Amino acid sequence: MSFHTGVAANEEPHDKGKYAGKVRSRPFVASVVLLGGIAALVLSIAASISVGAADIQLATVWEAVFNFNQDLRLHQVIWELRFPRALAGAMVGACFAVAGAIMQGMTRNPLADSGLLGLNAGSGFVLALCFAFFPDLPFLYLIQYSFLGAALGAGLVYGIGSLAKNGLTPVRLTLAGVAVSALLTALSQGIAIYYHVSQDLAFWYAGGVAGTKWIQLKIMFPWVAAAMIGALILSRSITLLSLGDEVATGLGQRIGWVRAAAMIIVLVLAGTAVSIVGAVGFVGLVIPHIARYFVGLDYRWIIPTSAVFGSLLMVLADIGARIVHPPYETPIGALIALIGVPFFLYLSRRERREL
Amino acid sequence: MEPLHFNSREQRRKIRGITVLSVFVLLIIIMFAISMNTGYIRLSPLDVIRTLVGVGTERQEVILFDFRLPRIVISVLVGVGLGVSGCILQSLSRNGLADPGILGINAGAGLMVVLFVAFFSTNAKAPVLFLPFLALVGAGLSAALVYTLAYKRNEGLSPTRLVLSGVAVTAGISAAMIVLTLKLDPQNYQFVTVWLVGRIWGANWTFVLALLPWLLLLLPYVFYKAKVLDVLNLGEQIATGLGTAVEKERLGLLVASVALAGSCVAVGGGIGFVGLIGPHLARRLVGPQHEFLLPASALIGGFLLIAADTLARWIMQPYEIPTGIVVAVIGAPYFLYLLAKSQT
Amino acid sequence: MFSLRKEKTTKISIVFISLLALLLLLTACGQTESLSDKNTTDPSNGENSVSDATNNEESAKEQVVKDAMGHEVKIPAHPQRIIASYLEDPLVALGVKPVAQWSVGNGQTVQDYLQTELQGIPTINYDLPPEEVMSFSPDLIVIGSESLVQNGLYEKYAKIAPTYVLGDEISNDWRKTLLKLGELLNQSDAAEKMLQDYDQKVKEAKEKLQNAIGEKSVAVLWLTQKQFYMVDETRSSGAVLYGDLGLNPPNLVTELSEEAKATWNPVSLEKLAELNADYIFLVNSDKAQGDITLNDPIWQGIPAVKAGHVYEMSTSSSWLYSGLIANEKIIEDVLKTLVK
Repeated sequence: MSFHTGVAANEEPHDKGKYAGKVRSRPFVASVVLLGGIAALVLSIAASISVGAADIQLATVWEAVFNFNQDLRLHQVIWELRFPRALAGAMVGACFAVAGAIMQGMTRNPLADSGLLGLNAGSGFVLALCFAFFPDLPFLYLIQYSFLGAALGAGLVYGIGSLAKNGLTPVRLTLAGVAVSALLTALSQGIAIYYHVSQDLAFWYAGGVAGTKWIQLKIMFPWVAAAMIGALILSRSITLLSLGDEVATGLGQRIGWVRAAAMIIVLVLAGTAVSIVGAVGFVGLVIPHIARYFVGLDYRWIIPTSAVFGSLLMVLADIGARIVHPPYETPIGALIALIGVPFFLYLSRRERREL
Repeated sequence: MEPLHFNSREQRRKIRGITVLSVFVLLIIIMFAISMNTGYIRLSPLDVIRTLVGVGTERQEVILFDFRLPRIVISVLVGVGLGVSGCILQSLSRNGLADPGILGINAGAGLMVVLFVAFFSTNAKAPVLFLPFLALVGAGLSAALVYTLAYKRNEGLSPTRLVLSGVAVTAGISAAMIVLTLKLDPQNYQFVTVWLVGRIWGANWTFVLALLPWLLLLLPYVFYKAKVLDVLNLGEQIATGLGTAVEKERLGLLVASVALAGSCVAVGGGIGFVGLIGPHLARRLVGPQHEFLLPASALIGGFLLIAADTLARWIMQPYEIPTGIVVAVIGAPYFLYLLAKSQT
Repeated sequence: MFSLRKEKTTKISIVFISLLALLLLLTACGQTESLSDKNTTDPSNGENSVSDATNNEESAKEQVVKDAMGHEVKIPAHPQRIIASYLEDPLVALGVKPVAQWSVGNGQTVQDYLQTELQGIPTINYDLPPEEVMSFSPDLIVIGSESLVQNGLYEKYAKIAPTYVLGDEISNDWRKTLLKLGELLNQSDAAEKMLQDYDQKVKEAKEKLQNAIGEKSVAVLWLTQKQFYMVDETRSSGAVLYGDLGLNPPNLVTELSEEAKATWNPVSLEKLAELNADYIFLVNSDKAQGDITLNDPIWQGIPAVKAGHVYEMSTSSSWLYSGLIANEKIIEDVLKTLVK
């Protein structure tokens, strides 16, 4: 399935109204998939809660949610430790996936992803600076610095990529992303060694949602919610953007504004997610493709589906991180990379004209 | 009139080539001197000279010959190897952005190194001498993987796909390295993360001994094939027309490149960018003829790495930042600059 | 014309690079103040200071021994400048002061509980960079674990001074470490006597504790970087409490010890919720960051915490370390808190 719709680049738009219909969209399939996804998500969150150092029965989980008894140790464990962690996984996965979907739609680059485009490395760099110079920064500020970092990384990558003569090809962006990530990672490590914060940074790089507290979720939630709503509002415009700049302008879109808003949403989503879970890539790469496969090219469906699938992936990966080598936690970024890389390879073989 | 005109251009090219080569030899020697001076214990240049000649104190001899020199020598050798390897890769793939790091070769070698360290101690001499060979095998495997993934039956080897596959394989292998280390050898987790950044971790004469044979074997072979590389650059049809066994030569050179990269990485850690920048700079200075391009890549690579290593040891005394960090901080912006200016 | 421009940029780049190199050269030469000068005045100008043996005054007491890795080491009779990183406890117990002491982060963290004896002694980083070691001109180097001399480091240290590696088997057991060091420093009798005195102290303390708390269980936890760690039964403070003093370990300690590879093993809050210890000794390295972790409801729900039986030990105490002096202090602390 080609990434572009049936509209060729040089076709003249002779009937603006027809375009909404021409975008392949399968509302029925999409709804089914979405509902199914949500169901799977709920189940996997339940599974996530029951898996751990001590496996808890699902019945206990049910009781803890609806009949919470403060004195029961297991209930405490569920509410204070497992639940926030599972929810964090879901939120983070959704953030990465939607950020990736928007990036891919906006730039018409099927290989866009927060990890590959330097956002993660940028956040990491700024966070290293924070750990070094402001050692006990409250989480709220860490999130904001994380945005800045993501913006820095993305800005560098896009800026340099677009300086080139033939513009932003996916390959060029990927390469720029690799180089910018390498640079920012190296700088982060240099700072970490000099200011003795290597340990903190190592934890962050390893990545994981273990130990997430309710308070962090509470801080995160408004930002994420706002960004998601923004994404849904923009979804129609993004669909149009994904058809091509000329098409979108022709249909009355104000590309500049849409792009700017979309970029801010991406940064908020990626920055927030990274500040909780650390350097995890590939989610934003893989999930939008899967979403598109099921629901077509209408971003009004792609965005929610990506969110659900992204959450699902992250929660499952988090379970995996606990199962691989108990009682140690395997870095979740590594696990997801093991899935994401083959997929990336598959993608790189598939693309023809765009590359 | 024609032959005369051609000769003078030839001559100018040769003169420029030789000048550049000599300048870089000189620079490396200067860097050697500076590097021997750099370290926690202060040695004045006079002391260094006296020790080299043989009249230094025993203490100074230990500092110089046992502590500093092996590492300096390794950094030059690794730089040379990576520079040449990158040059071959760039010429073969006709892609100015090829580099053993990007193409996943370093990662493959690294995986082997990590497995090695998990199962053997690095104290015994014999296993260490074996290390570059193991790394080479690893590098070969990942190179083969990248190649297969980038090769499509109808379209052959597209440079873009090559790079993308390389990036993907590198990411995948790095992730695998982390997971494996946690399972097999959690104490060495730190080692793996530092290795991924690139650090000259084996700094004694045994490691030099392990690396040297590979360079002595492969470099002459590669230099000998300089003309072949020139011909291959003209394109497949022309090359075949001129009588070169294209596939065979390509394979041989590819193997040499991978072997060089693998053995260097075994000793020097996952240092990237040297194989990229060295050949690039070399090309701008001496032109595309491999007769000079290869040695220039070698010398520039060597100079880059010894300079980076010296900087790494000097900049944050008494700490040592991993050399790979310095290389990345210098190399990445240059790479980005190249990217911005490139045509493909 | 094109080639001319190329040549010009070529020349410029060459000149630039040469200038850069020259600049670096001048900078290196211009280093007047060197870090190493503070460690020792270099007596080596002209003199052979890489000593294998003191001049044969008391060669009778000089020993040639084999260390844990099979190296033959010539121990000098009266070593004056010893570097025995992380082994300062037995050294101080034997009345010997090293010429440099163990530290992490280049002086940031040292063994606080030994500082009265070690005050003024310069620090050396725990990974013992060879040049830094050399700058102290030691005449004897003792290393605890084989893993510290990998990658050819042993040969480098050996070139500076006789280097003896204790080996994990000895260095993980503080008594063996003390005895071995006593042997190397010709103080075997003193070392044995100290062990006997220690055992006597232990016996007395054990009785008092039996009377005070009987069969109740005691846990030792370390909180750092928002993560709890539990000590291995046979090491550090664990060895003192459970091994020497015979106190009862709680359920988790015995579980963890089976899987344990390190002295301190990470334990999740989840697992901690199952802790059935009656008393908890807590070393809180996160004190500066405030008590976020300690306000967690799961922690608060642990029986010992609810009953208020958590005793915080300062990070400058000896609870994280192991050795004669460290252990004696631990015993003092335990008696102070549990025997009312």
